[in-house]
Amino acid sequence: MEQIKILLDENEIPKQWYNIQADLPTPPKPYLHPATKEPVKAEDMAPVFPMELIKQEMSTERWIPIPEEVRDVYRLWRPTPLYRAKRLEEKLNTPAKIYYKWEGVSPPGSHKPNTAVAQAYYNMKEGVERLATETGAGQWGSALAFGTCLFDLDCTIYMVKISYEQKPYRRILMEIWGAEVFPSPTKRTNVGKKILEKDPECTGSLGIAISEATEDAVTHEGTKYSLGSVLNHVLLHQTVEGLELKKQFEQIDVYPDYMFGCVGGGSNFAGQCFPFVGDKLKGENPDLQVISCEPTACPTLTKGIYAYDYGDTAMLQPIALMYTLGHDFVPPPIHAGGLRYHGDAPLLCKLTYEGYMGAVAYHQNPVFEAATLFAQTEGFVVAPETAHCVKAAIDEARRCKETGEEKIIFFANSGHGHFDLAAYDAYHNGKLVDYEYPIDLVKQSLEKLPKI
Amino acid sequence: MAGSSSYMYKIGFLVNPIAGMGGAVGLKGTDGKSYLEEAIKRGAIPLSPRKAKVTLQKLYEYRHDFTLLTCSGVMGENIIKEVGYKKYTVLYHLEGPNYSTAEDTKKVCNLFLEFKVDFILFCGGDGTARDIFTVVREEIPILGIPAGVKMHSAVFGITPKISSEIVKMFLKGKTETQEAEIMDTDENLYRKGRLQTKIYGYAKTPYVPTLVQAGKSIFYNESDSESKENIAQFAYEFMNDDSLYILGAGTTIEAIASKLKIKKTLLGVDLVKNRKLIMADVNEKEILDVLEKEKKAKILISPIGAQGFIFGRGNQQISHQVIKKVGIDNIIILATPYKLSKTPILLVDTGDEELDKKLSGYQRIITGYRIAQRHQIGLNTA
Repeated sequence: MEQIKILLDENEIPKQWYNIQADLPTPPKPYLHPATKEPVKAEDMAPVFPMELIKQEMSTERWIPIPEEVRDVYRLWRPTPLYRAKRLEEKLNTPAKIYYKWEGVSPPGSHKPNTAVAQAYYNMKEGVERLATETGAGQWGSALAFGTCLFDLDCTIYMVKISYEQKPYRRILMEIWGAEVFPSPTKRTNVGKKILEKDPECTGSLGIAISEATEDAVTHEGTKYSLGSVLNHVLLHQTVEGLELKKQFEQIDVYPDYMFGCVGGGSNFAGQCFPFVGDKLKGENPDLQVISCEPTACPTLTKGIYAYDYGDTAMLQPIALMYTLGHDFVPPPIHAGGLRYHGDAPLLCKLTYEGYMGAVAYHQNPVFEAATLFAQTEGFVVAPETAHCVKAAIDEARRCKETGEEKIIFFANSGHGHFDLAAYDAYHNGKLVDYEYPIDLVKQSLEKLPKI
Repeated sequence: MAGSSSYMYKIGFLVNPIAGMGGAVGLKGTDGKSYLEEAIKRGAIPLSPRKAKVTLQKLYEYRHDFTLLTCSGVMGENIIKEVGYKKYTVLYHLEGPNYSTAEDTKKVCNLFLEFKVDFILFCGGDGTARDIFTVVREEIPILGIPAGVKMHSAVFGITPKISSEIVKMFLKGKTETQEAEIMDTDENLYRKGRLQTKIYGYAKTPYVPTLVQAGKSIFYNESDSESKENIAQFAYEFMNDDSLYILGAGTTIEAIASKLKIKKTLLGVDLVKNRKLIMADVNEKEILDVLEKEKKAKILISPIGAQGFIFGRGNQQISHQVIKKVGIDNIIILATPYKLSKTPILLVDTGDEELDKKLSGYQRIITGYRIAQRHQIGLNTA
């Protein structure tokens, strides 16, 4: 009988993270300081992040040890299972083999705690007492609340006000894990006060919440800031997924032909695929296709330009070389809130720009159609973000049916959708809007702009 | 004032007792006395009193928050009494026993203006809406209880019950007002099989902003006017490309014109190039003449009315000849998310079946700054 779950023993949790910067043909371009436009130095980041994370951010060492205390926490849910999607294959009647690694088994229900736990640990080690962060619908906030809870740190979370009011479940989760959660904009920060003076009814945005959390960190002794995606050290922590995945594939003597993952900031998919992209960079398995999946509403990799841009709307964060739709672009309100980011992780963008990785974009309705088929065959109800790569995997499996190819298809199943059932409900009731990015008109509008 | 519990709202209430009577007996409307007599002869039963009653019944529990100012008999008072309201004022006494005329409606509306009602709740169709609008213009918000045969105007609740929900939200101070097209069809042409719909202007109507839908980050932090502003900003940025722009009717397109600092013909079509007005209020022939001289042209158009017609109602100057000359790839459709949520089905009726087929199917609609939605456009089968 063919194996459905490919499992590793607890002692097989990786002891090191993989840093892809060591294997890049050319070094990544540095972050620039938003004020001086000079390359960012370690001391520029010191008020915001602990030194160990800054070192990891800039490191070119291939292997970085995972502290035993972090591995010990990982044991609560890691190693995560690799599944063979046998029932989905049968439903699709495809000769392809579909695999997915299921990160929904973590306590907060996604891949996010892989870095939240590590970040909380390093902050604790350096004597930080409190972490401040932002969260949109609550996915990242709940992961950090969980991480700080285990290392006995205080945690302050600025949650976009409209989510705070309308999406209480993730907020409750954060509070169970001991975090204090405030609807942003708040009167706790100057940024928040200014916005509320102008518009007392302001429902908030992720950009405002980032600014509030950053201000909180830099104006309070013993407080640092924490970011859940995009940055190199976050991607690094997530490679624990891909390193497990490699061992799991080795165990059954399989190597993927296709890897799909959803990309919002890029940390989840980078974590799964970087150990395999590392093979490609060394000239091994050159035919492996590594494809990022994104929404047509916010098609950063498929329609954006590769340029230096700000990481946030307030232009406080460093300027990075990445694919971007412009830091002033506010993506439409799709259900996959985690994919609504104007840029992407600089490392993932560089690999895409250089042709080691590809990208594809989908509308909401076909994405939920695929996720529903997945739920009806494999049982798991995946997050709207994850549903994007489920769609890609199903499309590829269908293509294999046409051609008769027995390809190995993998997708990164990054989390469950139990807090997103309203999105499924909207899909079933025909209420989902399909968004697009009018690239031709955007280009037309940019043509005559003065070049800076 | 809105939202304060001590304030007693004054609602002007008016029923067109004969609205909708022509539909069931195949007369396509009852505008004009002879058609009314014919409708009655054919056995038409008054529909609007029943519909108006539903709305008033649903509002009964809120009766202490408002007072009704109305007309005698079939034009309002009968239904008010039937539902059981005690507090109301009859401003106008109807002379004819069973039905009212457009003149009656207009006289009542003059009284509504005089008595400064907070808004007008009426039951009828496009003809009634048009008669009211002729008098009150945008001075008083109006809301329709749907009862007519023709309801292209955007002032109607979808059902009598929904009209009552909007009134309730109005009483709680939870509505905003927006412009709504007042449209009417020429009934004589319609009876001959030709649908000629004209926009008569923009009334004010209360609406409930759909700020929050259930679901992760499915919320618009923007009002309808902010959406228009965002669309206008985007359009302003891309309209500098040496193309001739044919600007259709409507308030979304007007927002673009005002961004360009151009005085737009609200109910007509204007020509713009490199952000400058070339010609105002053009007819079909004038557009075709200008197109002869232009290398590149684009059409900026927005869905019109309650049915969401993109071509064929209210924008007749942009005929099928004009569209073919410009090319369907050069049509840019724009609409606010709110408008699209109200009109889930969009339609085209250019009078050229082949062209309508080409325009139908999935189309991109600009809904914000660098944001578009994909929507299905259907053929008009009505």
